Amino acid sequence: MDSSLTEQPAPNQPLPDLVSNEFAGLYQTHSREIYYLTLRFLGDAHKAEDATHDVFVKAYRKWNTFRGESSYRTWLYRIAINHCCNLRQNWANRHLVTNADDAVWESAAASGDSPLRVLEIKELGERIQKTLDQLSDEYRLLLLLVADEELTYEEIGVLTEQSPDAVRGKLHRARKVFTAIFQRSL
Amino acid sequence: MKHQKKFESQEQQQASETQSQQKTSAREFASVEELLRHDAKQTNVPPEIAQRLGRSLQNEPRPARSWWRRWFR
Repeated sequence: MDSSLTEQPAPNQPLPDLVSNEFAGLYQTHSREIYYLTLRFLGDAHKAEDATHDVFVKAYRKWNTFRGESSYRTWLYRIAINHCCNLRQNWANRHLVTNADDAVWESAAASGDSPLRVLEIKELGERIQKTLDQLSDEYRLLLLLVADEELTYEEIGVLTEQSPDAVRGKLHRARKVFTAIFQRSL
Repeated sequence: MKHQKKFESQEQQQASETQSQQKTSAREFASVEELLRHDAKQTNVPPEIAQRLGRSLQNEPRPARSWWRRWFR
């Protein structure tokens, strides 16, 4: 197994002692996945910082309406997805499946489920971002959500308003398109 | 002759260092998910967000405890 996959990431920055311990704990536990989602979904570090801040402000305001019907994780993801989609509403890329996806899909069949070989780990983040940028919003979001091991297909279906079977089918295509673009980006 | 041997040995050492560098930097990911998980682990949350959030929440009214949380705690 790749040793780097077991590396412990740097601990998240605690919130200053201004808010309740409970909410500070929520930030401490979930800020990484929310920041990562916004970073890779929006493709811009400054926008991701703003979005993560705004998501937690919204969560704080809605704190008393959280009824425990879902986990905190999926609740925060819901707020983050709505926030990011609102930000992108004025952007051109609103179609579920873009022409770019279709074009790549034609050549993606050969890529299959082959492993993704990476020679230069230093620029990996940049390469991942460039690949994600070429996917539709929906494919990008599905891949980012399924990468979170804590989320089930059912939860991803709820978050993206579709059935688990639809999630599975689209993810199959999204993985192939991602792999094809990623391998060409060497 | 001695110089040539030394040079060859240096070359061999450099070649082996380059090989080992390539070995350490080359990675293989079995799936897109694995690749993204690795990327997520390498991505640190900027500390500025926590500081800014702390300042922003200072101006927010403290949210009341929901009936749900009161009931279960």
